[in-house]
Amino acid sequence: MKRIISTLIILLSVSSFTYGHIGSPGVTLEGEAGPYAVTVVVNSPDVIPGTATVDVYLLDPAVSEVQLKPIYWFAGSSGTPKADLAIPVPGEAGHYKGEIWLMSSGSASIEVKVIGAQGEGSILLPVMAVSTAQKEMDPSLGWSLAGLGIFLMILMVTIISLSAGDSMVKPGEDSTSKVRTKRWIGAAVGLVLVVTVVWGGNSWWNSWSSNYKRYMYKPFTATSSVTSEADRQILNFTVDPTRLEQLTLTRNINYLIPDHGKIMHMFLLKMGTLEVFAHLHPLRKDSTQFETVIPPLPAGDYYVFTDVTRLSGFSETIADTLTISKAEEQLVTQWNDSLLIDTDDTYYITDPIIQSANRPVLPGGDIVICGSPGKKTMLPDSSYVTLELPDSREFKSNQLYQLTFAFEDQNGDPSALEPYLGMMGHAVVFKEDGSVYIHLHPVGSYSMASQEMMQTRFEGNSGQVDWDKLPNQRLFRDSVDQVITDLNSLPYAQRDSVLSLGMDHSVDDPDHPDHAVVKFPYSFPEAGQYRIYVQMKRNDKILNGAFDVEVTD
Amino acid sequence: MDTISITNPDVVSEPSIRAEKAVAAVELPTYLYATVLASFSIMIGLIWDISWHTSIGRDGLLSAPHLAIYFGGVLAGIFSGIRVLKISFAGTELQKQESLSFWGIFRGSLGALFCIWGAFAMLTSAPFDDWWHNTYGLDVTILSPPHTVLLLGMLTIQFGAMITVLSVKNRMKAANQINPKVENRLRLFFALSAGFVLCMLFSIASEFLDRHDMHNALFYQVSSLIFPLLLVAVSIAAPGKWGATLAATVYTLFMAAMVWVLPLFPAEPLLGPVLNPITTFQAFKFPLLLIFPAIAIDLITQRVNKNPWLTSLLYAIAFLVTLFVFQYPFGDFLMSEAARNWFFGTESWYFGADPNWQYRFAYGPWMEASASVMIQGLGIALVIGYLSARLSMRWGKWMQSIMR
Repeated sequence: MKRIISTLIILLSVSSFTYGHIGSPGVTLEGEAGPYAVTVVVNSPDVIPGTATVDVYLLDPAVSEVQLKPIYWFAGSSGTPKADLAIPVPGEAGHYKGEIWLMSSGSASIEVKVIGAQGEGSILLPVMAVSTAQKEMDPSLGWSLAGLGIFLMILMVTIISLSAGDSMVKPGEDSTSKVRTKRWIGAAVGLVLVVTVVWGGNSWWNSWSSNYKRYMYKPFTATSSVTSEADRQILNFTVDPTRLEQLTLTRNINYLIPDHGKIMHMFLLKMGTLEVFAHLHPLRKDSTQFETVIPPLPAGDYYVFTDVTRLSGFSETIADTLTISKAEEQLVTQWNDSLLIDTDDTYYITDPIIQSANRPVLPGGDIVICGSPGKKTMLPDSSYVTLELPDSREFKSNQLYQLTFAFEDQNGDPSALEPYLGMMGHAVVFKEDGSVYIHLHPVGSYSMASQEMMQTRFEGNSGQVDWDKLPNQRLFRDSVDQVITDLNSLPYAQRDSVLSLGMDHSVDDPDHPDHAVVKFPYSFPEAGQYRIYVQMKRNDKILNGAFDVEVTD
Repeated sequence: MDTISITNPDVVSEPSIRAEKAVAAVELPTYLYATVLASFSIMIGLIWDISWHTSIGRDGLLSAPHLAIYFGGVLAGIFSGIRVLKISFAGTELQKQESLSFWGIFRGSLGALFCIWGAFAMLTSAPFDDWWHNTYGLDVTILSPPHTVLLLGMLTIQFGAMITVLSVKNRMKAANQINPKVENRLRLFFALSAGFVLCMLFSIASEFLDRHDMHNALFYQVSSLIFPLLLVAVSIAAPGKWGATLAATVYTLFMAAMVWVLPLFPAEPLLGPVLNPITTFQAFKFPLLLIFPAIAIDLITQRVNKNPWLTSLLYAIAFLVTLFVFQYPFGDFLMSEAARNWFFGTESWYFGADPNWQYRFAYGPWMEASASVMIQGLGIALVIGYLSARLSMRWGKWMQSIMR
């Protein structure tokens, strides 16, 4: 019984997942629009067509104009309306705000164009435009409309009643009993008519609602299982091949493209306590089946989050839950990390989130870093990473932060970091109850593969996609798998140079001269207890660190 | 002041002077002008708004077309509301005698009640539509439940205007106060008010009445449902012999004028994706050739005085045959190169629709009903038209006798 209840709870939590990253609808970007350093936060509408709010933050004071416009992957750059101006926010220098209408479901992007003394530059931020919300009517509005509706019904019955009887009586003449009878018959007919119209309207509304539900975004579901082979455990991840109701080509599972050189990024997180974390890269067996080797992780229920991106730039998270049984003794003793199928796979077992307050105070404990309060933790190679906290020592929801991590070696000197999956750091943010999951990069929370696809697509004056000329699905899938195989066969340095192409790997920050610093722009979507896993590479070894933060409203 | 006097023209003939003297005290009430103006304003606003959404896409609560619609609603609602309150609590004996008593304390004309109902329905639709957009997305369709509440509100106001004209006409006729000049004016007002109702019916059903639908039986079924319902009643109740024809003329001129005028103004899509980058307002639709069925209906009204069930059948057959004979080939014409000009406006195309769609100016295979399907469909249209015409005859008879 207990197991059934826990399964139900798991299913319920899974059903609340939304697209892309889970429970964190805002998309952040840190980058350069030509000569201008820019941070952008986009909050997509939860109903399409609807408006996205766009916040643009600029450091350069010599900016004269910030323009915004939506560009859809299927419509191309020539299919965009003229740009809208983002308006400066009073009292907040460098902060511009605008609204952008997203009229169609699909893979879209928002182009931010900055014009100023240094000329002009633009940058693209991918946005997945899909309806995710099922809203209910606010009771006060519901009662107001019901009141007006009843008034209209009564008045219409009155009108029909008078039309049938008294309206035909000449001025000055009294109503006869025949007229009064007609009046009552009219009222009865009117009542039947009005009730029929209301009933018909209600049926129409219901059919509209079910049609909306039919075409609203539904995340892919998947089934995860673990099987044991001779000396290792295999995690099988099978995506439900159910036919999509819309965006059938945009979200087609055969059009997956590699992001950071991987067809899929999978994160395992132990439910409840969040103390076990793994970042794996399954390989594709066929269009819907993926598999990877997992280390002998502690037994328990796990969240499985996988990120994928398509040819269309449509990126999303496919989530599942998984129960991992206690590994056989033989598997544990024989395990070594070289059994993982991808050299970029990593896992980490640390303290549970619940007991974070009781965790032994690490050197420095809550410390001050470069004038800001911080949290410090030791990494597996005995170096240190510190998370800079706001002055108030707590984060506020829906406020943009640069989650800043400073790295020191064992001697307190800046760590020499190496790129991991083409970036100087990765961060994964989870809310305690699993309702929020997001994979962050120093450039933001969007899919970089998606951005690349959009940029390539929109070069020149690109028109509409010719759906009939999309690549053959099977050929495309095989070609992508071949590219990944080739990439994985490259020596590490060579592979990293391919993945890091065009990336700025600077970890110098004038505010932190004594540390290697990696920053992640992010806005926590809601209050609660969060765990952040930060990942980086040092001395050819992937390192993971964990931080718990409290977020308040 | 709620009435105005009709002034004498500068030059009049002898018989006219005599007639004028005979009805020197005849006045047309101000609210009649107000309600017909409201109906006109609503219709302008609606067609302009549809064009706005197909050309610009984005609008605000106080966009110009919305203001025209609100003006119509407010004008009709307030005029009628104040009039009901005034007659109820400070009306003259004559005004009370000419009005209907309801809910124990109020008195007002039927036309005023329709206008009040319409104004409240329009008011109700605003928060409903706002919630709808937030819940199901901004719809780019004419027919959604909140839009229908709005359309019903507007239609009821327009119907109220028509009823107002008729009740004034019927009262004057009963009191022998009609002279040719007043009758002409009433005829004009009735043609305008009925014509605007026809425009509204066409707009409401326009999703089924596009040029792409003209070779499909559904077009004729929808037409047989809504147009005889109005045209037959109008033909019967009009202050003149050519009620339906005049209403259809107003409809034709109004809709055509909107096709001619709107594209003269610049417009640019403000929403993406823009598949059709237009630079001017896109016209709505060239009017249907309803003028021909309307003439047929008026001729039947003038010449046939038989069993209403038989007459209804005649109306239905005449309507369907004339509509089919004129509109079906006209559909081919509208698809042709010859119609791609300012007069017919068939080049107008929604900014979000692919302008290179192969069936933009052609009938797709699924749009062309085969002969057998068309004959079967027209048979159903005839049955629908028959019931619609029969109901309309009864309705027309009722409209002839409205006194209050």
